Amino acid sequence: MDDSAKQVLRRIIRRIPSNKLQITLRKWECLSKKQFRSLDFTQPKWLICENLLSLCEENDLSLKHVTELEMIFHIEHPTQGTWYVSQLIDAEEEALTSDLLNFRESFKVHLKSLISHVSVKIKKHEDDAIWIRIAWGDNFTKPNHFKPTYVVHHLQTPYVFVTGLAAKHRPLLHQALIPSAHYGSIKDVHLSGRCLTALRDLLMRRYKQVFPEKHPRLLEERSPLPSHPNIENEHAKHAENRLQMAAEAFGDGMLPKLQTAVYKLETSNLLESLKYCVSSGMASAPVTPLLSSIPRKGRNYFVITDKGPGINPTPGPNI
Amino acid sequence: MMENTIECPREGVLSHLDVLEMEALKLSRRQQLSLQQQSRVDDLRIMVEKLRAQRDQLKARVKTTMSLQQLKAVIDQGPEECDDDGEEEGCSGSMQLHLLLLKARQTQVKYLLQAHHVIGGYDVTETRRGQGVCVSIATAFEGCYLETYNLELDVTRTVRICRHNIPPFIPLEKLVQENLQTDLSNFLSTLSQHLNAFAGRRQQVRLIQAVLRGSVKVMESNALFNTVVVMCTELGENHRAVLCTLEYTDLSRYLPTKVTIESEDKALPSSPQWKENQSLLLETPAHTALQALKEKGQIA
Repeated sequence: MDDSAKQVLRRIIRRIPSNKLQITLRKWECLSKKQFRSLDFTQPKWLICENLLSLCEENDLSLKHVTELEMIFHIEHPTQGTWYVSQLIDAEEEALTSDLLNFRESFKVHLKSLISHVSVKIKKHEDDAIWIRIAWGDNFTKPNHFKPTYVVHHLQTPYVFVTGLAAKHRPLLHQALIPSAHYGSIKDVHLSGRCLTALRDLLMRRYKQVFPEKHPRLLEERSPLPSHPNIENEHAKHAENRLQMAAEAFGDGMLPKLQTAVYKLETSNLLESLKYCVSSGMASAPVTPLLSSIPRKGRNYFVITDKGPGINPTPGPNI
Repeated sequence: MMENTIECPREGVLSHLDVLEMEALKLSRRQQLSLQQQSRVDDLRIMVEKLRAQRDQLKARVKTTMSLQQLKAVIDQGPEECDDDGEEEGCSGSMQLHLLLLKARQTQVKYLLQAHHVIGGYDVTETRRGQGVCVSIATAFEGCYLETYNLELDVTRTVRICRHNIPPFIPLEKLVQENLQTDLSNFLSTLSQHLNAFAGRRQQVRLIQAVLRGSVKVMESNALFNTVVVMCTELGENHRAVLCTLEYTDLSRYLPTKVTIESEDKALPSSPQWKENQSLLLETPAHTALQALKEKGQIA
């Protein structure tokens, strides 16, 4: 095991929380049962790390095995860093039949033809996701294993999730990805977040969406004697209607966890447009404070949090 | 009558003629009477027929009115129809009847759709006050209901999909380009075929994993379940492992278009027995075919 491999291992162990260390190392399967038992996980992390390093020396493990450990941790905890989503477009016929072996082969060949020093590791996760770890170098330097890029792609779908990608490597990744996945091109879909599974569920529609359905059960539940002039009934009906509308717009049950959204409203005169929306009846009155705050507070950057209905005092000019 | 005339032959010819004349008169009168009676009976019969027809007509009318009223009641119970009660008062009788007939037709269509849905077809619901429809497509395999997928369509100008929950690996885009605008029902039935075939292929893999656990192992399958690799052990002399690769090129079918058999024993795939097994896998759902091979003692 050379120094760089040791350094990478130290860094990985530092990043894995103590309570996750044992389970991650067990999944790694690079230590014998006896070796694994010899590790005392109640010790401080630096000490565990030193013991682990000597075990790795014993087993003659290399950088390849170390990056494997990093991948295992990332796959189990896909909330490290921000994930950006791209979408492959213009699918070819083969896109529907591509398999892991062909994809792996093709991706490595394409990427290595574009850049000489690059280290690629591809692994298939249980949920059919393909995980790609890329350590980039350039023509004169070795691949940098401290700042790898992670790419997650589900074959036969057009979505690509990327984290830790430098702008200069972006075209290289795209050039390798497009032909390997059998598509014509790729575009940014303006979706990002810390939680990979949330982004995936949102795009692959794996969360429970609600559709207007003509189900007999629903009808019975929904219409509590329409001719009966009961105020409570009326209110219940409205409340139910609101719930249904909310569910149809956003879904039901556990929703994908997104932390931020950016709306960019672009027009020659935003305030004039907003005013027209209200005066023409396109937007309902009274105007939401979200919009009326722009002229009132003299700001056009707002942060909305869970705490309350109002707008939090993010820094802005004093008027 | 002849007997009466024969009874009194002795009283001379004239008196006999007289008697005959009387008899003839009597006879003609009686005949006239019976004729009159006959025609009266006929008249009455016609009258009865007429009345009967009238009665039947009235009965039919009562029946239609009642069924129409029932239909109207059914429709009025529907949540979206509550608001046209007011207008109907002003309508003339024939207009109202026409309206009711239209409503009856609508109800009939609705029931047909419901029946279609019950037998596994798609269900259509009106949304956004008639500007859109929501289509739900149920999937099933071997009599077992699986997922239901939904599409909300905007039908105001051109048909457009607003939102849906169809998995991204179903080639929806291609099906949309083919005939969403031109032939909606064809589009829906093709989509339904794709979804049912996908659900069926996935269900076969699930059944192999559940029913043939420990015997057949699913080595590889993909999101669309159009390439499935299973491994089993042949029960011959050497207990060789056999890999069966099932490829489904026709995505609207749940049966494979190509089956490849591989084994360490190079002669095995071309043996008559495995040639037969190969064609069985092409014609039968995978879990049934493999179960049959197991029962025949060909695989462990």
